Amino acid sequence: MTERIQKQLQNLKSEEYKSRRSDVTLDITDDVADKTPLMKSALLFRANLACEDPIILPDDRIGFYRSKMVGATYEGENSINVPKNIIPDYEMMLTKGMDQVRSEVVEKANSCDDEQKDFYDSVCLTLDAALEFADRYRESAKKAGSEELYKALCQVPHKAPETLLEACVFLKFIIFTLHCNRNAQIPFGRFDQYMRPYYEHDLKHGISREELLELIEEFFISVNYDGDLYPGMQQGDNGQSLMLGGCDKEGNNVFSDFSKLCMEASLELKLIDPKINLRVDKNTPIELLEFATVMTKQGLGFPQYNNDDIVIPGLVKLGYSLEDARDYAVAACWEFIIPAKGMDIPNVTALSFPKIIARTVESKLNECNSFEELLNFVEKGINEECDKVIAVAYSRKWEMSPYLSVYIRGCIESGKDVAERGAVYNNFGFHGTGIATAADSLAAIKEVIYDKGIYTKEELLEALSLNFEGYNELRNRLLSCPKMGNNIPGVDGIADRLMDAFSNALKEKEDIYGRRFRPGTGSAMYYISSAEKVPATADGRKAGEPFGSSFSPSLECRLNGPLSCIKSFTKHDMTEIINGGPLTMEIHSSTFRNDEGIKKVAQLVKAFIDLGGHQLQLNSINRDTLLDALDHPERHKNLIVRVWGWSGYFVELERKYQEHIIKRTEFMF
Amino acid sequence: MKKAMVFSIEEFATYDGPGIRTTVFLKGCPLRCEWCHNPEGQSTKNQIIKSQNGCTGCGRCVKEARFVGKRIEYTERSIEVCPNRLLRYCGVWYTSEELVDKIGENADILNASGGGITFSGGEPLSQHEFLFECLKRLKNKTSRAIQTSGYCDSDVFKKILSETDYVLYDIKLVDEDAHIRYTGVSNKKILDNFKILVESGKEFVVRTPLIPGVTDTVENLNGIATLLAENQVSYIELLPYNSFAGGKYASVGMEYHPSFDEGLRPQPHIDIFEEKSIQVKIM
Repeated sequence: MTERIQKQLQNLKSEEYKSRRSDVTLDITDDVADKTPLMKSALLFRANLACEDPIILPDDRIGFYRSKMVGATYEGENSINVPKNIIPDYEMMLTKGMDQVRSEVVEKANSCDDEQKDFYDSVCLTLDAALEFADRYRESAKKAGSEELYKALCQVPHKAPETLLEACVFLKFIIFTLHCNRNAQIPFGRFDQYMRPYYEHDLKHGISREELLELIEEFFISVNYDGDLYPGMQQGDNGQSLMLGGCDKEGNNVFSDFSKLCMEASLELKLIDPKINLRVDKNTPIELLEFATVMTKQGLGFPQYNNDDIVIPGLVKLGYSLEDARDYAVAACWEFIIPAKGMDIPNVTALSFPKIIARTVESKLNECNSFEELLNFVEKGINEECDKVIAVAYSRKWEMSPYLSVYIRGCIESGKDVAERGAVYNNFGFHGTGIATAADSLAAIKEVIYDKGIYTKEELLEALSLNFEGYNELRNRLLSCPKMGNNIPGVDGIADRLMDAFSNALKEKEDIYGRRFRPGTGSAMYYISSAEKVPATADGRKAGEPFGSSFSPSLECRLNGPLSCIKSFTKHDMTEIINGGPLTMEIHSSTFRNDEGIKKVAQLVKAFIDLGGHQLQLNSINRDTLLDALDHPERHKNLIVRVWGWSGYFVELERKYQEHIIKRTEFMF
Repeated sequence: MKKAMVFSIEEFATYDGPGIRTTVFLKGCPLRCEWCHNPEGQSTKNQIIKSQNGCTGCGRCVKEARFVGKRIEYTERSIEVCPNRLLRYCGVWYTSEELVDKIGENADILNASGGGITFSGGEPLSQHEFLFECLKRLKNKTSRAIQTSGYCDSDVFKKILSETDYVLYDIKLVDEDAHIRYTGVSNKKILDNFKILVESGKEFVVRTPLIPGVTDTVENLNGIATLLAENQVSYIELLPYNSFAGGKYASVGMEYHPSFDEGLRPQPHIDIFEEKSIQVKIM
């Protein structure tokens, strides 16, 4: 790491920059009173930018830091429904430059129907506001003597960048302005693909690889600023995922030296942003997996692995074109979406498998004479629950967002805002939370009631309703039944049935606009929030206790080891349930202590890929460190952990999430 | 068919031979090394062990226990009544067929990584008939390794070696008196079997635990280096003493009182080996 980078890291960690921020609230209610929703959004964006004072940090070449905690607002503003969690068309904007994009919009505005005029006028207004703000920033950079930033801003965003620095400044500008447009959780998409031409340009012009590594590190440091202003569900959940590797539209591998350089930058910096994702497949060289394992060793919880062999065919099954499927990246956490083309809402809500099981067992167990009858009721319950989550999807209405529409293909062409299905894909996705808890519960019922008759239905129902109070031994018996994660055909087969029921129910629900509903294996925060409302379950879990995070064994499961775990979680045909949601495994930090350990963890990842797993996230964890951090947060300010689809500083998490992470390590490998 | 008691099956054992390995720990050991970190592997009897973490002291398990003098012996009922599932039998009986079926399930992953199965313990050779059956059943399925102290009769060792692909061989102390003092047995058989191992042409690695003041002395390491050099062995793995070694004693109702100073840093003396062109890896 160069001295310059070390200094910039210090600047970031000192948090001195936060003192430059001020609070301001600009009320524009009167200005927007008689305006259309499109124009309201555009004017609010302009006002937000007008509130911002350019901040030029010492020695910084990237720019665009927030100066205001709160910006403009108007009466009735609803920031909750502003579109988010999608990947903008960075490539298009970088290739054209904003002036050209603007002139194309003006041309459209001049030849469109009246109906679309409002849209194009609003878009134009936002582009003017963005450019005007960039000009202000440029002049401030000049005044502050920030020579390189000034020079870059003479080129971008008006014109297309030529150098990697210009491209980085432009990209930061795009992200900054989208945040000012209140679009939260804006991931980077396939960063190594759209930035690579500028990297190669600079190499050709005699700039060394080391200098360019330093530049990318500067850029990565710069996106860690202001993360606290975009917290998502909690600090750290800001959606800044970045995808590396994968294939092009013809299916050729495109992992390059620049992709590797991005990994090196992340490895050196050890910061929570950007969150590195890696696309892999059967042919990924083991050396790359070994290098990625060195990243895992840092304990940041990335990279997250995404298996092209499963994800691409899975997306094709959901109606995405093969070309587009090959271009996939992840949204804020793990949801597979298509950059620039997808206005999918991949995280509408979660279908809670344990909730359905608990309800079905309570109301139907008594009348079921066989396990199969019970399972049929569960499948029916899943189908009914799917109708409910779809109703939630339909109730989600986006606010107009003309500035974001610039970055989503199809909108400018059709004159329709992203909020009005202007994008190419407008599908919905659902998490499927608590799959292991659900399968374990049914497997336990099968064993103790139907197969072995150890307990009566009445006894079990009574125990569940009393949250096992006075039923200790019964609970122990349930806990010793087969669990998902140990490669046991019976319980894994039940999980198979549950996932099939979820996929099949959603398959039939395509709507009149061609929108599809995507089943997934993620949990987001539902593994805690939804679990709080679920009563005791027959796997031995007590009322309110959390499920495993995403696609993982339950917390009470004593595991044989990572091999059996991988086998359990790769048995199902994952192309059928491909909204996203990783198998998450905790591996003790000592495993990584030498090259041999690193090599073997990489081979474990390879096994996961070869067996047909869709997504994997490994954590290197030392339980003792976590316990110490609970008691002495002041000693562990830099301790980073993976929470669900994102990494955060352990000491900043809510207590119940800290406890879940510690619990996860009880049976780790 | 022979049965044997297994006290642990560890998937993804990263330090028990090449590639990803599943290590089977057979219960029972004729040695009593002072620094033993697997006390539950010593006895051939099945014991109930109680994890100390998470115990609320509710007393249910004690109520169901037997007392042998002052010593507490938990019962099957103790296991059933613990609200936090902290008690379990540490051993499980397997026939060689059952065991091979179970560990064979992951052979695809093991083989793809160049790994396989490792039999450890305890001392796996103390249940050599069972071990032999397992090794034969695993032939041509996956790579078979044993991790051993080498303490057994030569005939037994030769027979096992004929069905083994890789050996992790412990040499702790070259001085016989010291060996008796710290492990309870003479090292004569061990040194004899080492010669057999070298002559067999099988792939193997020598391992020495670095116990402060016991095995990490200049004298002992010199002796080991000389032994290796005499046998044209050019590589050794040193395993520094782990201060967590005593961690499991309480849960099996045993006490840990090593006579050496646990606080001292183990000294690898790499130069001693390098002088004899022996490559050292510290694990």
